[in-house]
Amino acid sequence: MASYRARLAKYVILQLVGAIAIIFWLTPLYAMLIDGFKTNFEATATSVFQPPVRPTLSAYIAVWNSMKWPLINSLIVTVPVTLLSGVLGAMGAYFFYVLGEKHPIVGNAGFSVISLATFLPVESVFLPLYRFEYTSHMVNSYWGLIFAYLLFYIPTAALLMSIFMPVVPRYLIEAARIDEADHWTIFWKVVFPIMVPGFLSTLIFVFVMSWNNFFLPLTLTTTPSMRMVPVEERYFTGGYGTLYNETYAAAVLASIVPLAVFIVLGRYFIRGLAALGGGAKGV
Amino acid sequence: MKKGHGEEAKAKTKEGKGIGKSYIQLGLMVLPTLFFSAFLIYIVAWNLWLSTLNWSLLHSKPSFVGFGTYAAVFNGLFFKVSIYHSMIFSIGLVAIGDAAGLLLAGLLYYLPNTQRAVYLSIFLYPIAISMATNGLIWDWLFNPELGFGWLTSHIGLPRLNPLATATSTTLSMFLVEFWAYTGLAVLFYLASFMSVDKSIVEAARIDGAGGSKILFRILVPNSMNGFIVATALLFLFSFRMFSLPFVIGGGPTNLDLMTLVEYVYYQFYTEFFSESAAASTIITAIAAAVIIPYAVYGIRKWVMRG
Amino acid sequence: MASVRTENLKKIFKKSKSEVHAVDGITLTIPDGQAFGVLGPSGHGKTTFLRLVAGLEVPTDGSIYFDDDLVSAPGRIVVEPEHRGIAMVFQLWALYPNMTVYDNIAFPLRNAGMPKGEVDKRVREIAEELGLTRVLDHYPREISGGQMQRTAIARALVKNPRVLLLDEPFSNLDAAMRDGARALVRRVQRERKLTTIIVSHDPADIFSIAEVAGVIINGKLVQVAPPTEIYDKPANETVAKLGGDINVIDVKVSDGIIYISNSVKLPSPIPKLEGKFRLGIRPEDLVLSDSADVPGMTLVGRFKVKVSSYVAGIFRTLVSPTDDDSIEIFANTNGYVEPGSEKNLLVRLPKVKVFGEKGESLTLARS
Repeated sequence: MASYRARLAKYVILQLVGAIAIIFWLTPLYAMLIDGFKTNFEATATSVFQPPVRPTLSAYIAVWNSMKWPLINSLIVTVPVTLLSGVLGAMGAYFFYVLGEKHPIVGNAGFSVISLATFLPVESVFLPLYRFEYTSHMVNSYWGLIFAYLLFYIPTAALLMSIFMPVVPRYLIEAARIDEADHWTIFWKVVFPIMVPGFLSTLIFVFVMSWNNFFLPLTLTTTPSMRMVPVEERYFTGGYGTLYNETYAAAVLASIVPLAVFIVLGRYFIRGLAALGGGAKGV
Repeated sequence: MKKGHGEEAKAKTKEGKGIGKSYIQLGLMVLPTLFFSAFLIYIVAWNLWLSTLNWSLLHSKPSFVGFGTYAAVFNGLFFKVSIYHSMIFSIGLVAIGDAAGLLLAGLLYYLPNTQRAVYLSIFLYPIAISMATNGLIWDWLFNPELGFGWLTSHIGLPRLNPLATATSTTLSMFLVEFWAYTGLAVLFYLASFMSVDKSIVEAARIDGAGGSKILFRILVPNSMNGFIVATALLFLFSFRMFSLPFVIGGGPTNLDLMTLVEYVYYQFYTEFFSESAAASTIITAIAAAVIIPYAVYGIRKWVMRG
Repeated sequence: MASVRTENLKKIFKKSKSEVHAVDGITLTIPDGQAFGVLGPSGHGKTTFLRLVAGLEVPTDGSIYFDDDLVSAPGRIVVEPEHRGIAMVFQLWALYPNMTVYDNIAFPLRNAGMPKGEVDKRVREIAEELGLTRVLDHYPREISGGQMQRTAIARALVKNPRVLLLDEPFSNLDAAMRDGARALVRRVQRERKLTTIIVSHDPADIFSIAEVAGVIINGKLVQVAPPTEIYDKPANETVAKLGGDINVIDVKVSDGIIYISNSVKLPSPIPKLEGKFRLGIRPEDLVLSDSADVPGMTLVGRFKVKVSSYVAGIFRTLVSPTDDDSIEIFANTNGYVEPGSEKNLLVRLPKVKVFGEKGESLTLARS
């Protein structure tokens, strides 16, 4: 048994390390939240760490005009993408699960393909994608964006749902087949109701990831009116004489949606992440 | 008897129709996933094809050059710099993020449930924010007058300017990356620790083992899967870093920060399309090298169990 | 070695809206060197009690003393489990999967900072005693269930603990292995005079190892006595059922006679008893015979055989009184008895137990 002094020292050090970690991780959030409320003067005079003396919404009002349309654009694109990916991906996962038992090659190949599609950097294939959309006149349109997003996020959703699938025991599906249910019925009446938590996790994960996607909107939109939130964000760098109160106000507006989702439904988001890594067991 | 026979036959045809219809449905259900996945593969292949051409600003009517473009790319300064950066960021994050994630997960393991959930959220929230926004936030934090520099000068240390030199910029970027993605490692190690049978940990306590002994002798050795997953995902997330250096560097042409992915974009931007495609293919190959073992591991671990 | 004493020990678990009184005021003293068995239905608090003694749970109220040292107090652990000098064998043995059998056994010694030579000596000694020398280099996943269990016991004994705690240690063994395992634990305990607490829902474990047993029902200590007394003189109906198989039927008592049915009766062991009660009699205290005269047994009445079968090594026959088909009693018999035949049922009168309306034993109260 270690001496009392040694144990106390160890305890104190651990608390200290924990505190430093927490402060480190929360500092950017802190800055982001308080600095959006500063006046222009304060943004030039005070550091990002000092709270505003006279909180004001002037920065938010100033950036609202530029952020308004991107926010709407982002919603128009991410919501359908999320829902479509979730449902279509779930159906794909069901396919692999059902067929994978008797034809393991199908199951394995499917799983490999959707894994690849999930983790492949978007940037590594965008050139042909851009060419395709360019020649099909899909660039700079909602359809073009949605199509490109679906390209990556349907497989992602399929992967996540595949990982959550084993929650439904195979014998349940077999019993339904014996009861002469067709696959469509089995999927919607037997499988899907059991998978609701996994489905929610998938939806939330896809939503956050697609909302934050920077590269696709960067390359596939050319006019300011079609810009989405992450791209619009980059115009708030300090290089153009922007003041940091506007930067942070814009940052808050950009992140408020995914952060709100994370705070309220964070449990599901974390489960989605955990599924990617460790199977469907909750943390 | 005649009636029975008729009914039986009727039932058979219904069943036959039912099964056929059912398989058609199954096919329809998987169609979107297959279509989009196939399209993606088609694009990857197309990309590979493009990389074998010499299509660029200088050659608007491209012709096949095999490895010619690759050779040009490998010799280019920009490529060397960007692959160097990508490797530092990825491998560096894997090494340091893994270690930090493990230690932090060890700390969180001993906390009660509610506290643990809160701290985990604190480590994970950066993933919910787009990397571009993260870049902006940290850009200002790195400001010598109004950010960290202000803090250090006020407590008597020299005014810190993280973006002053190439080296310090690289380190600063690494810090942001560390802040953004270590939460992943914490999550996976924690999940792994918690899947270790509680009675084994209790037995170790009764056998006189303290917190750190339990962590390193019991929890970590039984967390191989946590290690594999954390490493794979840390690498994949950091390898595709684009928006972060883009925003902090002020655009894709900042040589101090250029990553491989930025290089792809840069070449595209400057209309050296084949070069861009070549770099993309290299990225795809590296990513695939990491993803495929992950997929194999995942298949064995999760899907087969079902 | 140490004695273990608890005073009004309580543990309350709060589940969303309700409270579960897992351990509800247990006061108990286990003297130094005694083998103490804790018997009770699953989920009634036995394991919680053991975990409280180990220091793995915090008491909601009450205290625990090892010898005269306070180790647990209301709401806090005074002495951590790792400092109590205890050893515990878990239900699933809790062996470290990433270590060999040798390292598993050596683990507690190394944690205590013992020199390497001494560690080796002790590990090999105990491995020899428990027959594990051949598997010292193997991993838990490579050895049999019995070997895993002995490894768990070796790990517990190697550090010469003050108190040994066993939580359902045999439930994961094949039935055939359990007797050998019980004999092993008993020998080890008696040789070392080690204060031992063994928790089980299987009375056979308690009978073979414990010198004194405590029955915990609904978190309360209902009876503390040597195992044979618990078997023969159970404090109430639940304890009687825990001790082993028993027939319990509703009867009417009047004028010193217990009536099972109109024609089936036996003399009441308790005088001046009137009214409705429950009769308890174990199958081994019943005999089915064609004769009405068996030494040491009292004739009860005429019964019809319903079914006769072979269960866990003995023949068990289900019978009903000829005049009341709804009452069913099972008796141990020497062999198969033809269903439908009629036999005399005789009972060993001194072993009859009578329970009151709340299940309390009236025959115990008398003796």
